Amino acid sequence: MELRCSELSFTYPGTTIELFDRLSFTMGQPGFHALIGPSGVGKTSLARMITGDITGFSGVLETDGMQGLLYSYNLERLPGWSGVGKHLEKITPPGKHSLRDDLIEVFGIRSVTRARFSQLSLGQQNRVNLIRSLLQDFHLLIMDESLANVDEMTRETILLKIKDLFPDTFFLYISYNVIEVSKFCAGILVFRGPGKSPQAVTVPGQDYRIGRTLDKDRLEGTMLEVMNAAA
Amino acid sequence: MPLHRRIYQFLIIYFLGLSGLMLIKYSVGLSDYVIPGPADVWETWGTVWRRYMRDVVNTLLVAMVGQVISVFLAGLVGIFGRRATWLGNFIKVAAYNVQAYPIVALAPILFILLGDGIFTRLLIAAMICYFPVLLSVIGIMSEPVTEIEHFYRVTGRLRWQLEVKIRAFENLTKLTTVIAGSATLAFAGTIVAEFIAANAGIGYSIRIALYQSDLSKILVALFLIGIVLSIYQGLLEVLGRVVQRTWAGT
Repeated sequence: MELRCSELSFTYPGTTIELFDRLSFTMGQPGFHALIGPSGVGKTSLARMITGDITGFSGVLETDGMQGLLYSYNLERLPGWSGVGKHLEKITPPGKHSLRDDLIEVFGIRSVTRARFSQLSLGQQNRVNLIRSLLQDFHLLIMDESLANVDEMTRETILLKIKDLFPDTFFLYISYNVIEVSKFCAGILVFRGPGKSPQAVTVPGQDYRIGRTLDKDRLEGTMLEVMNAAA
Repeated sequence: MPLHRRIYQFLIIYFLGLSGLMLIKYSVGLSDYVIPGPADVWETWGTVWRRYMRDVVNTLLVAMVGQVISVFLAGLVGIFGRRATWLGNFIKVAAYNVQAYPIVALAPILFILLGDGIFTRLLIAAMICYFPVLLSVIGIMSEPVTEIEHFYRVTGRLRWQLEVKIRAFENLTKLTTVIAGSATLAFAGTIVAEFIAANAGIGYSIRIALYQSDLSKILVALFLIGIVLSIYQGLLEVLGRVVQRTWAGT
């Protein structure tokens, strides 16, 4: 499995500004990959092109051998007519009940499973959204600011758990947090500002996971590289 | 709007209107035959209010059945018309165009074809109420709630029943307002039908009062119509709130 993009160009209908101009990159191995860059550079648009929600672009965008491309974003909501726990129960495919219970525990939402979605804090809502995506069958999950409004320690616990549970799955993590993407992602696609060529560059990340030691100097090096690439 | 406030508002408007009439009567010096004095109105009230109340309730029952039929039909057609398919677009365009036509103008044809019984009144009430409700239902049902539907769509779980449930739940306040508002339309439709040719209901009684040039009776009828309709609309809103609270678990 690999995610390959070659010479991708796209302009939103009705506008003249070219969002992508011959964008190319490859993500060759499953694991955590990041999309980072300033607002409006096209991170979400690229994600929606990968999942097939946006069409009409030129170039090649291949999701070789991947079945089930999911896009999860931080504004999603659950219907308000029943509790969070009941919803999660309903959308859990057969055989994944223990995974659901495990995720509920690790994501720290056990205490709010009886509550309605609208009664949760933004961070809790985002965690619930992420859990229900993780319970589905997928080869690629795009997490568009899916952990926004979640405290740093819980975010770290969640990211490490996901990496531990899904080692052979592609994750595309859209975030503005340079430290986080440098630390947890294997590859970081850094989008540069408008008019810059190339439009995006790939920086290798530290891919920190359970059982691996984090070299702080190398992490700082990655962060500097990301900052320089974006500049 | 709470039930009591709805009734207060009607009473204020009614008595302002009545005061206006009295002001005209006494400032221009009109006779009791044109605009009766307060004592005449009060006396007429004592004589006719029981009979008129029965008539208003009769009209209300026809309007309620007509409203239920039209809301049910509008819901059904709105669900079919919500999609951007050929059928959906056809239903939308047809609803917009037909709604622009004053349906009440068809009432005489219905009386000629169907006679002046209850069925004609019911049909006119339902027809007048139907198209505005349909337009609102189509508008609500064809507007995706993306932030909720997205997950179900990408995981292949979004069946039409769930789609309709999500959109109805998210727009329950709007739907309640539309249904409560359509009560006025159904009531107006029934009264118009009774004006034209029916043989029962408050519209029929007003028609007789009109032939007798008895403004007192008309004023009593208007008072009862306003009170009963305010209570009915208020109850519909209370029902909407109860449904909303029960469904949302708040």
